[in-house]
Amino acid sequence: MISKVLIPNRGEIALRIIKACKALGIRTVAAVSEADKESLPAKFADEVVCIGPSHPSESYLKIETIITAALGTGANAIHPGYGFLAEQWELAEACETHGLIFIGPPGEIIKKMGNKLQARQIAEESKIPVLPGSQRIQNVEDAIFWAKEIGYPVILKAAAGGGGRGMRIITTPAELKANFEAAAAEALAAFGDGSLYLERYIPNARHIEVQILGDKFGNVIHLGERDCTLQRRYQKIIEEAPASFLPLKVREDICTAAVKLAKSIGYENAGTIEFIFDQDEAKFYFLEVNTRIQVEHPVTEMVTGIDIVQEQIRIAAGEHIRLSQAEIKIMGHAIECRVTAESPEEGFRPSPGRITRWIPPKGPGIRVDTHCYTGYFVPPYYDSLLAKVITVGINRREAIKRMEYALQNFVIEGVETTLPFLKFLITQPEYIEGKVNTKWVEMVSKKRYNKK
Amino acid sequence: MELTHDEVVKILKLIEASEFNELHLENGDFKLVIKKGKNESVLKKEGIEDVRVSLESYERRREDSVSIAEKKPPSEDVTVRIAVKEEEDLVPIRAPLLGIFWRRPEPGAPPYVEVGSFVTEDTTVCLIEVMKVFNAIKAGVRGYIRKICVENGQLVEYGQTLFLVKPVSEEKTEGEAS
Repeated sequence: MISKVLIPNRGEIALRIIKACKALGIRTVAAVSEADKESLPAKFADEVVCIGPSHPSESYLKIETIITAALGTGANAIHPGYGFLAEQWELAEACETHGLIFIGPPGEIIKKMGNKLQARQIAEESKIPVLPGSQRIQNVEDAIFWAKEIGYPVILKAAAGGGGRGMRIITTPAELKANFEAAAAEALAAFGDGSLYLERYIPNARHIEVQILGDKFGNVIHLGERDCTLQRRYQKIIEEAPASFLPLKVREDICTAAVKLAKSIGYENAGTIEFIFDQDEAKFYFLEVNTRIQVEHPVTEMVTGIDIVQEQIRIAAGEHIRLSQAEIKIMGHAIECRVTAESPEEGFRPSPGRITRWIPPKGPGIRVDTHCYTGYFVPPYYDSLLAKVITVGINRREAIKRMEYALQNFVIEGVETTLPFLKFLITQPEYIEGKVNTKWVEMVSKKRYNKK
Repeated sequence: MELTHDEVVKILKLIEASEFNELHLENGDFKLVIKKGKNESVLKKEGIEDVRVSLESYERRREDSVSIAEKKPPSEDVTVRIAVKEEEDLVPIRAPLLGIFWRRPEPGAPPYVEVGSFVTEDTTVCLIEVMKVFNAIKAGVRGYIRKICVENGQLVEYGQTLFLVKPVSEEKTEGEAS
């Protein structure tokens, strides 16, 4: 039984988790930094406890403090949200040690999937297609050998990585020489582990991922796939469900592969299996597993009608998954746009500050997940996500139309936002016709903003 | 309410002889706090700041203590403090981290500080425990503990007020301590 959940997180996801808990009649404790003491999650939670100064390393990233806060407030579960400690196996393990329920997979699974090389190997063993790639690379000579084996272009990745950090696309041995040390240093700084590996780079690719749910009894189902091809610097900005530009057969195969992989590792709770889809070859390859709730989970919720965060809590409490695979139906099409406090006109420079006017759009098929309001101060210490605008329609065209309306009718004053950029993207013919790949956003944004 | 010297001495004697360590007496604006302590006496009169008197200098400083104290107190083990209108000019000692608040170095040991204790910047006032790691918390201010705001064993959050301190400047305490 989960009676009280501590949420060591902030922003829209903290609020999202509080709402799911309220719906289940579970009490909540917002564990917030000093900068977030007056935030909406702090106001909406049943209790609030300040865990430290504004900088994440002194608050949201302190495992001991968070465990102490949970025990001290009488919470018996922790929901980590996304980011911060969500994929640190140490937090999951500390929960186990202290008799707290971690709302997410067991630490052991997080640890396994956190090592991208190990995850690749597990996928291979489960007969899931993986991109041609290397083992752990020791030095530049080693890298050049492997790159030749794999064939250029290749992509250099951090073994402990994810989220695009330390990643570099390499087309020649000279480039590899020039980039190797910097990439290793970046990986070491970001993840405390400088190990790198190489994979074949797919230039004309879509990013496809599958939402899965697994319970403690070995049951695993998928909630369909998402298309997250629209990215800027490996950060997703527009996501959709389903991936309607993929042949139906491929979509089914990807979902089946995801469930197979999840079952083979005994996956528990909500997770996402990420794939890359090569549009030229019409083939998909395993990328990585994200062992957390994801930013873009609402698009899946909108087309399946399932509250994924509530399911996470039920599974963590030891319940069976309530639905069989046959009961999961994909209805219509959903799109999510991430509105961030960044200035697209100035190279996406972050734009923290006071929001002087905030009027989110309303209407049929429009959902806005946000923690912002008129008068809210966007602190400079955290990521710049202000709101997720989600629209759903009977088909993709309707979802796009509703998104156009929603973005047009979203008033945000006081901080710079990416609203104009998002409006620009969703009205491009290539986007509407689905003629895009993972490099498209960077290409069109260069065209748009470098002209000036 | 006015107390004569004899009355004060009488009260002190009663406390001295009794098993009680503390007496709080309040009547309208007047408040009398007597505590049995080890080292020092504190006197306070309405509207003016603390008058600290070490026992040796008690006699010498009696002109500051108005009609209340004219002679040495009967015992060196008694702290006298008459406090009126608390809260004003008090400095908080805040929790520098979240954790469990402990007043004693170990169970059974005397607390680091009590109300009335004199602390300097470096005086340890309590422990804050984060998963078996005990962090000694320094006062960070020079003065007298006026109020202990948290119960022993409670969870304190970052920035929470643990103690209220009546600050005293350095020269003054040195002068008075002689």
